[in-house]
Amino acid sequence: MAELKTPQELGTERIGKLLIRYAVPAMIAMLASSLYNIVDRAFIGHGVGSMALSGLAVTFPLMNLSAALGSMVGVGSGTMISLKLGQKDHESAQMLLGNSVTLNILIGVLFGALSLIFINPILTLFGATEVTIGFAREYMIIILAGNAFTHLYLGINCILRAAGHPNKAMIATIGTVLLNTFLDYLFIMVFHWGIKGAAIATVISQVLAFTWQCFQLSDKSELIHLKRGTFRLRGDLVKNMLTIGLSPCLMNAAACFVVLLINRGLLKYGSDVAIGAYSIINSIGFMIVMMVMGFNQAMQPIAGYNYGARQMDRVLRVLYLTMFFGTCVTTLGFVIAEFMPGACIRIFTNDPELTGIARNGMMINFIFFPLIGSQMVIGNFFQSIGMPGKSIIMSLSRQLLLLIPFLIILPRYYGINGIWYSMPASDILSVILGFSLLIPQVRKLKKMV
Amino acid sequence: MDKHYCICIGRKFCSGGRNVAAIVAEKLGIRVYDKDLLKKAAQDTGFSEKFFDEADEEKTRKGLRSLFISHFTGSGLSSNYLSNESIFNMQSDAIRRIHEQEDCVFIGRCADYVLRESDRLLNVFIASDMDDRVARVCRHADDGMTQPKALSLIEDIDRKRSSYYNYFTGRTWGDPAFYDICLNSTTLGYDRCAEIIVELARERLGI
Repeated sequence: MAELKTPQELGTERIGKLLIRYAVPAMIAMLASSLYNIVDRAFIGHGVGSMALSGLAVTFPLMNLSAALGSMVGVGSGTMISLKLGQKDHESAQMLLGNSVTLNILIGVLFGALSLIFINPILTLFGATEVTIGFAREYMIIILAGNAFTHLYLGINCILRAAGHPNKAMIATIGTVLLNTFLDYLFIMVFHWGIKGAAIATVISQVLAFTWQCFQLSDKSELIHLKRGTFRLRGDLVKNMLTIGLSPCLMNAAACFVVLLINRGLLKYGSDVAIGAYSIINSIGFMIVMMVMGFNQAMQPIAGYNYGARQMDRVLRVLYLTMFFGTCVTTLGFVIAEFMPGACIRIFTNDPELTGIARNGMMINFIFFPLIGSQMVIGNFFQSIGMPGKSIIMSLSRQLLLLIPFLIILPRYYGINGIWYSMPASDILSVILGFSLLIPQVRKLKKMV
Repeated sequence: MDKHYCICIGRKFCSGGRNVAAIVAEKLGIRVYDKDLLKKAAQDTGFSEKFFDEADEEKTRKGLRSLFISHFTGSGLSSNYLSNESIFNMQSDAIRRIHEQEDCVFIGRCADYVLRESDRLLNVFIASDMDDRVARVCRHADDGMTQPKALSLIEDIDRKRSSYYNYFTGRTWGDPAFYDICLNSTTLGYDRCAEIIVELARERLGI
């Protein structure tokens, strides 16, 4: 939150210019993290095979769960540290940094160990079969062994951002993606290590990123750095961090549950191959969604500041402009998915059976994409003007509350297509919900202009 | 040595902290800042006063809703000017600016923590007996107020002040270790409390 120091420009500078300036770095970070998924899956799809892709896909719920625990510590410590830095209370910020490192190691190792012990029943629950469990296990054992490093790397990135070093956080993110791409190529294409290679590449790049972060944070001239004596857990700090981090954790855990439902549904009404197809569709969709999130992140400070300063005309302008950009991005996704699905899928596989299922799923899945751009922006808009209640309804509706009933009901009538239908069905309902919440709000804002 | 001194008064709900502060300020010829702080912070930032009021010490949200709110406003990923943390920081800036400009009394709002580096600071905590507080609430409130209701109101507001203070400062609200002096306004009375504070201030703050 370092940029909080000079907010004046948010109230005066041209909205379009502000939005672009704030959106570009956010989008780069978002694109980098979605590219990571695509690269990993592309190398596994082409270098190992389509069953390996399905094996990878059944590990997603477990990865989500791990990310949920990581985000709990990350968001909690990031928020607390930026608060303490704002108060120039460097000693407490330092303490929080040390405590968050310990907590990440503790949770990372514990989660990794527990999952390793129960790896077979867990993967079966998430949709693994005799064909795919071998790949899933081979991949997951290595990822789980390095789980503590994943948590440390992600956690410290949150802290770097909160401590006013968003650029360093971005370098770490992009560096990890590039390194992972190179190592994926080396291990899978050159060394032929199979799916194991992808896991080793992930762990190595995260360990290296973490080492780099440690160098950054051991500079004694920095406001906060790693210091002996700060690593011993303090009850009050841990409690505060975990309370703040609990809700992002729950949101991610909910995502895990949805993926679990999808995977099991695809397996029941389709086959192992369908799970792999979903992982292809998912990574394309994720990239589009992340780009909209980049615009959302840029909108937040602009809308929030101007709302606080009672400049409602500017609030409305940034809302409309972000909705426009968001819609452009999701429409682009729609065009790509509907008119050139083959080209997208070729990034991941040449397998004709997998391509067929993925093409069908993708064309159904993306059908209402031009509309959801504005839905995502609306949800974020409520958040940035201090109405988190409505924002929560918006983000839960599309990904959880509306989706789950469809996922349970539709496949009974339409088989595997029912699962693909569920996503656009919940898209369209949540768009309607979004506009019905937004229109009264806009009327209110217009009166205040 | 700082140019200006300040007296920070923490208080349990309905313990007469504001009355004592007013007497102290009158004796020393300085101003009291409590809710005015919010107005000042609002002027400084160009924000509407409403937001400062909503994030004030007795209005912090509780329960499940606050969990989600923290997710949406506090995440290190994005900056939200309307989050409680950012409003607290703006309010703290206002406290520091006032301290640079004049001698004064601050009531609540974690001023003791915000100004902890100052060398002309007197930290006071004022409490009083529960019976006394309940009677005071009943006297000041509307007709519908009963003793049990007053009791639960007092407990509720004390709890909110305490969680606000502990969250933002990392200290323990009302813990004698963090104050120069703790006074009971039931046994001492407002005037005597104020006298003691003024005496101590003259001795300690170089007035």
